[in-house]
Amino acid sequence: MSFDLSLILESLPLMLAGIGITLKLLLVSGFLGLILAVALLLMRISGKFYLDWPAQAYIYVFRGTPILVQIFIIYYGLPQFEAVRDSIFWHILREPTGCAIVALTLNTGAYVSEILRGGVLGVDRGLLEAGSALGMSARHKFVYITTPIATRLSLPAYSNDVISLLKSTALASTITIADMTGIARTIVADTYAPYEIFISLAIVYMIFTLGLQKLFGVIERYLGRYTRRDG
Amino acid sequence: MEVLTGWWDDYFWGAVIVAKVFIASLSLMILFGLIGAGAKLSNSRVAQKIAGAYTVIFRGTPEILVILLLYFGSAILLTSIAQIFNPEIKFVDVPPFWAGTIAISIIVGSYATETFRGAFLGVNPGSIEAARALGMSTLQTFIYIRIPEMWRIALPPFGNHMLSLIKDTALISIIGLNETLFVAKQAITVTGKPFTMYIVVGAIYLGFSSVITLAVMAIEKFGNRTTIDAK
Repeated sequence: MSFDLSLILESLPLMLAGIGITLKLLLVSGFLGLILAVALLLMRISGKFYLDWPAQAYIYVFRGTPILVQIFIIYYGLPQFEAVRDSIFWHILREPTGCAIVALTLNTGAYVSEILRGGVLGVDRGLLEAGSALGMSARHKFVYITTPIATRLSLPAYSNDVISLLKSTALASTITIADMTGIARTIVADTYAPYEIFISLAIVYMIFTLGLQKLFGVIERYLGRYTRRDG
Repeated sequence: MEVLTGWWDDYFWGAVIVAKVFIASLSLMILFGLIGAGAKLSNSRVAQKIAGAYTVIFRGTPEILVILLLYFGSAILLTSIAQIFNPEIKFVDVPPFWAGTIAISIIVGSYATETFRGAFLGVNPGSIEAARALGMSTLQTFIYIRIPEMWRIALPPFGNHMLSLIKDTALISIIGLNETLFVAKQAITVTGKPFTMYIVVGAIYLGFSSVITLAVMAIEKFGNRTTIDAK
C-alpha cells in the first residue's frame, strides 16, 4: 500500500470535469426545490385542511424515507408504468440526470418548507399587529412583514440544507450519472486506489462546503444589517 | 400485490439488518459524539483542533464517499497487512456491515458532537454551583447534574440525528450489505417490478422513521415530567 501523489494529479482534472454536473444538480434542484418549498409552506399555513393535510403527508413521506430510495423509485421504478412512458414527462424521466433532479427537488422541497415554516412562525407577533394597526391587508402583511423577516430567520438552517443537498448530489452516481463522485468511482474501479481518489475528492467537496458557508455568511450579514446593535 | 408473495421474508430479514445497523451505529454515534464534544470543551488546544477538523471534514463530505473510502480503503489496508504474513492471500475485506456501520456513525457522530457540546454548555450554571455548594465532587456533579440536564436539551436534535442514521443505512447497500434495498434489487431481477419493490423499501423506512419519531416524543415527555413549563 502506498500513497501515489502523481495519481492524484492525474485524476483530479478528470474528476473536476464532473463539477459541471454536480453544480447543475445542485443549482437546478436547489432552485426548483425552493419553489416547491414555498408552495408547500403556503399550503401548510393556509389554514385550510384540504391544503394543509396533503402538504403534511408529502413532507412526512419525503423526510421519512432515504433519498437513495427516492432516487431509485423515480429512476428505476416509474418506467414500470406504461402511463409514465407515454406521458409528456418521459423525456425528463428517461434521462438519469432528469430523474436525479426530480428526486433531489422533491426531497429538498420537503426539508426546506419545514425550515421556512420555522421562520414564518418565528416572526414577532407584535410586528403583525402593528401591520394590522396600520391597516395592512393579510396579503400586504405577508409580503412586507412576514416574508423579509422569515427569510432572515430561516437562512442559517437553509444554508445547512443547501450543504446537505450538495452532499446528496453525490448519490446521483448510483444511477450512472458521471458527476464528480461518479467519475471518481470509475477511476477507483480502474486503478484500485481508493485512498488517493476518494480523499482528494472529499477535499474538493469540503472546499465547496466552505465556499457555500462563506457565501451564506455574507448573505446573512447583509440581511441582518438592520439588526446589528454595534456601533 | 401478488408479485410480492415470497419476498416478504427477505424484506423482513433485510429490515432486521437495518435495525441491527441502526442499533450498532447508534451506540458508536453517541460514543463519537461524546468524545468529540469532550474534546471541544476540553482545555487542550490540540484536542479542540482535532475535534474541529473532525466536524468540518465529516459534515462537508458526502456520506457515500466516506462509506466507499472506509470499505475499499480498509480492504486494501487489511490485504496488504495480511500479505506480509501470507503472500498467498489475494483479498481481505472488512464485512460491509461493519464498514458501513462505522462510516455512518462517524458521519452522524460529527453532527452529534455539536449537539452534545451545545447541550453541555446549556446546563444551568446555577445547578452546578448548587452542586458544588452541596459538596459534590466533579464526577458526582457530572453524573447527577450535568448528564441529566444535558440529555434533555440534546434530545430534540438528537432525534434528528437518529433519523439521519436510519436513512443512511440505505447507503450501505452500495457496498453490498444485504439490507432492504439490496433485497429489492434481487427481487427486481426476478420479477421485473422495480416500482413495487422499491415502494416496499420506502414503506419499511417510513415505518422505522415513524417509530423513532414516536419514541423520541415519548422520551421527551418522560424527560420533562418533573420540569415545570415556565411559559
